Amino acid sequence: MTKPKHTHPLGVLQQIAQALKDYWYLLVILLTARLGHLGFTISLILLILVFCGWPILRWATLTYQITPTAIIIHSGILVRHHEHIPYSRIQTVQRKQWFYLRPFQLEELLIETASHEDHTPEARLAAVPTTAAHLIARYRQTKPTTTTGSAAVIPDQTTVATDTVQAYYRINPQDLVKFGLTSMIFVPFLLVLLGLYNKLPKSMTTALVTDATHLARVLLVSAIVALIVIAWLGAFIWTLQRYYHFELTRQADQLETARGFFQRNTVSAPLNRIQAVRFKQNLLRQWLHLQTVQVLIASKAAGDEDDNDLVIMPVIQADQAMATLHPFITWLPTTLPSLTALTVPRRRYQIRNALLIVAIPLGLLSYWLPTWAWISLPILLLAALQGYFSATNTAGGLITSDLLAVQTGHWWTRDRYFIPVTKIQSLHLRQSIWMKRTHLAHLTINVRHGNHNQEIQLRYLKLSAAKHLYAWYLQSTLQRPDNPRH
Amino acid sequence: MNQSTAHHLPPRIKRIWGYSALGNLLVLLVISGLLWLAYHFWNWPLWLSIGGLMLTLLEPGIELGLIPYRYRFTRYQISDLAVDMQAGFIFQERIAIPIARVQNVTLSAGPLLQWQHLTKVTVATASTSHSIDGLELADAERLREQIMRLAQEARHDQA
Repeated sequence: MTKPKHTHPLGVLQQIAQALKDYWYLLVILLTARLGHLGFTISLILLILVFCGWPILRWATLTYQITPTAIIIHSGILVRHHEHIPYSRIQTVQRKQWFYLRPFQLEELLIETASHEDHTPEARLAAVPTTAAHLIARYRQTKPTTTTGSAAVIPDQTTVATDTVQAYYRINPQDLVKFGLTSMIFVPFLLVLLGLYNKLPKSMTTALVTDATHLARVLLVSAIVALIVIAWLGAFIWTLQRYYHFELTRQADQLETARGFFQRNTVSAPLNRIQAVRFKQNLLRQWLHLQTVQVLIASKAAGDEDDNDLVIMPVIQADQAMATLHPFITWLPTTLPSLTALTVPRRRYQIRNALLIVAIPLGLLSYWLPTWAWISLPILLLAALQGYFSATNTAGGLITSDLLAVQTGHWWTRDRYFIPVTKIQSLHLRQSIWMKRTHLAHLTINVRHGNHNQEIQLRYLKLSAAKHLYAWYLQSTLQRPDNPRH
Repeated sequence: MNQSTAHHLPPRIKRIWGYSALGNLLVLLVISGLLWLAYHFWNWPLWLSIGGLMLTLLEPGIELGLIPYRYRFTRYQISDLAVDMQAGFIFQERIAIPIARVQNVTLSAGPLLQWQHLTKVTVATASTSHSIDGLELADAERLREQIMRLAQEARHDQA
């Protein structure tokens, strides 16, 4: 494919949708403003330009080439951009296929590298044939990953990677239902519903309130319960359609996930680009011993709207997680290792800190609004429990000489990370003068995540354990290829 | 960090910190002057100017007072494998950055540092960046050479 090609004309629809998403407020202004006849005509013409003319121009000026060495994208109406993306620099390739594109064998392609540009993928092709992604995948695997100008070129790097699937997982319906039911995104849903309530006409809400006083508390409570149930159901259906037929495949050195009902979303990432693996449990899932597994990658494309990591296992029984994942990411241990090397010896400090954080606002609240002072009690209790939770869940240890596992607890969510030493960007050890006496220290592990840094903080560790880890990190930083192909 | 092999910053850095505190004083003085003018002409509240003046005297004073402390507890060590930095006493911190993880090194010097022939060294990894306030030009260049050499020997960073 050497000649620049246009994307499919259906791509215009996508461009129009994007324009609507970006400039919807123009429509609102037009509909609400009182305009004369002339003003209306002018604005109508402007709107047609913004929502039809511009997208069509954008579509017409965008062309792409898939060459054996790089993907080249030409775009821009006034200022022409020519973007070259070599295969070896690609972090993730994401394919999004809306149901209406399926009959045409088309899909949207998003290609990301690790460059620091925020929010936008390097390349976004609205509607291209599905064969394009296959071609890119083939070039990516056959591409010799040459090290810059050194003698490290090994001949067998150029051999064609076999297309055989080395590991495959597909979510079963029960697990999907469990995942949906234990999802915490019903909380934002609830907030949206509450927001809608505020948007209701005043007369209606006052009528509701007077009704409520009539039927006393019963109605109010049942309304709240109904709201929560609706939010939960909404969240459930939302999650169900998003993770419908979730699949995880390992092919050669690529990991690929696919999910979604209305929009099939496929993300493929090279295994050696994985910065860390995270096992995550919200409060509900802790009780039910379920885990969600995500990988941290240096690219934003993999991110969901609600969660910035690529989910590779939506839900799995905690005791089976390691064994199930091992075939996909072979450097993970097969069983859950002991994480007792890094623990918090005394929990009182974190409880104290959590209490102190809420104490000041609560003090002010009690001073200004004495009638609301009673609310301090449950909040203080929650804060203390939160501190206790964080302290209890802080854990970690070295699994092998080049793999670190750490666990943290924040906001009732337990995160367990597995991080290869080569992906730890830097290590930060902190100790205040008061912690000298108690022989405690904080440890921060810096890992790349999306386009930014993720700090994994372990607070109030035993100083000796933290220092041991620090020394290990300083020693183990010899350049070691972490990719078996090299 | 092995205290015997760890380096202090060049002593001249103290002078630079001192001048930069004076610079802060100047800026703050200008701001308090403006606040006073605003009080005088536009009836801005008086406490703004008084607060501004107090801040003007306090901030550079504290900064100046802390220079010996800051100097004494700031140390760095650059080995073949890693950059190890240490700072602070009341809040002590140490940072380890393996040279293999360094993406780029930036040497930068403002007018004060240039005058003293020093340079600020910023070491950036794929996700974080850390800086040493002032190094002798020769040391900084050596660090940069070392990192560039290592980077050329093997480029396995996958970030």
